Amino acid sequence: MGIQIALAGNPNCGKTTLFNALTGSSQHVGNWPGVTVEKKEGRLRGHADVTVQDLPGVYSLSPYTLEEVVARDYLVGEKPDAILNIVDASNLERNLYLTTQLLELGVPVVVALNMMDVVRKQGGVIDVAGLSRALGCPVVEISALRGEHCVQAAEEAIRAAQAGQAAKPQRFDDALEDTLGQIEALVSPCCPPAQARWYAVKYFERDSRAKLDGLTDAVQAKIEAVIVSAEDAADDDAESLVTNARYVRAAVLARAAGRPAGQHRLTVSDRIDRIVTSRVFGFPIFAAIMFLVYYISISTVGTMMTDWVNDVLFGELIPPAVEGFLVSVGCADWLQSLVLDGVIGGVGAVLGFLPQMMVLFLLLAFLEDCGYMVRIAFLMDRLFRRFGLSGKSFIPMLIGMGCGVPGIMATRTIENERDRRMTAITTTFIPCGAKLPIIALIAGALFDGAWWVSPSAYFVGVAAIICTGIILKKTALFAGDPAPFVMELPPYHLPTVKSLLIHMWERAAAFVKKAGTVIFLACAAIWFLQSFNFRLEMVNAGESMLAAIGGVLAPVFAPLGWGDWRAAVAALTGLVAKENVVGTFGVLFGFAEVAEDGAEFWGTMAQVFTAASAYSYLIFNLLCAPCFAAIGAVRRELGGKWTLIAVGYQCLFAYAVALCIYQYGTFAVTRAFTPGLAAALVVTAAFVWLLVRPAKRPERKLQRAAAAE
Amino acid sequence: MPLSFAQPGQTGVIRRITGRDEARRHLENLGFVAGEQVTVISELNGSLILQLRDGRVALDRALAARILVA
Repeated sequence: MGIQIALAGNPNCGKTTLFNALTGSSQHVGNWPGVTVEKKEGRLRGHADVTVQDLPGVYSLSPYTLEEVVARDYLVGEKPDAILNIVDASNLERNLYLTTQLLELGVPVVVALNMMDVVRKQGGVIDVAGLSRALGCPVVEISALRGEHCVQAAEEAIRAAQAGQAAKPQRFDDALEDTLGQIEALVSPCCPPAQARWYAVKYFERDSRAKLDGLTDAVQAKIEAVIVSAEDAADDDAESLVTNARYVRAAVLARAAGRPAGQHRLTVSDRIDRIVTSRVFGFPIFAAIMFLVYYISISTVGTMMTDWVNDVLFGELIPPAVEGFLVSVGCADWLQSLVLDGVIGGVGAVLGFLPQMMVLFLLLAFLEDCGYMVRIAFLMDRLFRRFGLSGKSFIPMLIGMGCGVPGIMATRTIENERDRRMTAITTTFIPCGAKLPIIALIAGALFDGAWWVSPSAYFVGVAAIICTGIILKKTALFAGDPAPFVMELPPYHLPTVKSLLIHMWERAAAFVKKAGTVIFLACAAIWFLQSFNFRLEMVNAGESMLAAIGGVLAPVFAPLGWGDWRAAVAALTGLVAKENVVGTFGVLFGFAEVAEDGAEFWGTMAQVFTAASAYSYLIFNLLCAPCFAAIGAVRRELGGKWTLIAVGYQCLFAYAVALCIYQYGTFAVTRAFTPGLAAALVVTAAFVWLLVRPAKRPERKLQRAAAAE
Repeated sequence: MPLSFAQPGQTGVIRRITGRDEARRHLENLGFVAGEQVTVISELNGSLILQLRDGRVALDRALAARILVA
């Protein structure tokens, strides 16, 4: 049996960095509190039999957040052989608050004191020996960032695990100790002796998630009596009694470490905050930074790199080379077609966005790691709250500008379940990098490349988010106040290049993986459908299975102004990857090779579409269900049922908006009243009603009260 | 006085946190307990950035109103 070491600590204490240093695996490193919601484990470097388990960052082991539940279920249920507790020395008391809880678990504990450089920079010192004596467990100074003494800390934990000496809990004040002693006596027959203290404290706190099986109702009643008498004596509730006692201990421990209580003076970081989060400068600074990010990644540097990949790498270099190879080995025509048109064409179109996305993700990683991103959440919170989202919803949407998949993955940092679902549903309304070619195609073919088409797409995306927030918040599914906004703000600091690159790659990898798996298969499937008819004969796209499917679908979209089967098929292939829409048009209009914005067939396009139907088509594609990869990401984050709700809502919403755009746009030109226009008017009326109707919640409360009577 | 009334630069000692729910527990776990000193670093439309112990915490107005300081 190998040794299990659990890494536990506050968010932002450097835990993930330490985990990377110990296991050598690359993992996300950032400032965003609670970024590692998943459990991650790895083998300790140089010790094949030692497993390191990375736990989510938590402030406490209470059962109120997902992270806390994950961490404590592991610590109590699976009992690691030792806990390596990372403590941020620059915020000692708050970190030691968690340590007092870890010491009660009946597991050996070693404290790794991180961020000593910050303390020294502030002119502070820490008495490591004194702290170790007061805690009754080994304390090791480390620097996770520079990888100093990390392995020593882990080896100390191995020694503690081998010795098997459980950590000694901290002693609270006499009255509380007396009460806990009584409860401990009552619960101890039903639990391992080492965990008696933990269960005593949890039963005292009336923690509903800590339940011992063998405890009879009679004993539970006795425990409740003990709790009530203690609460009456102290005139406070049990949980607060424990919390306060812990802080008293944490302060004592900090004093033992020679660390004076928090000096109340303004740091550089505070001075930056005074400006960056001020009423006057906050939003202008934010707007300027966002413009810069967009300008660099989408308009200039990123696009130049993407153009190179699309035109040179997947245009002039790879396809001819592969074709030459396939011809030289005498490969069958259909296989050549599959590899070149299906796979390389499709996957290449997707990978073309990678450079652009890498630049965007690098810039966002910088904003996140330097600490500005959490300030954005703070800035946006009040605004977002008006339509039922929280400030934290903004970060996934920013990332979604690059690719919806990492955007949806970023919703994990939102603790409140309702907010998280709402954000996952709305994030893909923001046009992602892959939707830009569709915008360029429509703008070029029908609007003469008018400047306003692209900004209007973002505007529609934002409006869709706002309307969705308001509409869904009024349904029973999402009723309730948004979660209160509390967030730790790490001090501003310059991120290391390594952490930026790791961070960028994590997001980009999600995108590459999508290109390699889902899109790879889907490209092959689409190629098959458009190259064969139902008798499995190789035919032109116009006579293929895909055309037949498009013919069936087309009437559904006729009210939106694009009943042409090719438009329907293109939208369908957009489900695979949005950038496929342009390529599919190219194939269906009979062009083998088209540019990213489809400039070759703008003329044909203009014959099939009107201005109104083209814009309706654009908006439908922007708002409807995202690509399979993004849908898959939603399913991973929210589960199957909520994915159906999300996709269903998105498609319905897109259909309604596109219908209105086409019908009103057509009416503006023709001045003719049609059944379609009547339908659009009905939809608009329903939409307005959904927006302004009173919220669902008070009504439900009344009904429940009535039912109770 | 509720913390939501405090101005940037002002320091107070927490007397009590009102309410009995998870949000209060979360505040306590972050270090908002009676007797602790808090300083308002910045204020934006009622939302606050606070200095508490050695850390900085952002709060919205609704939560700040539940922290009574003196």
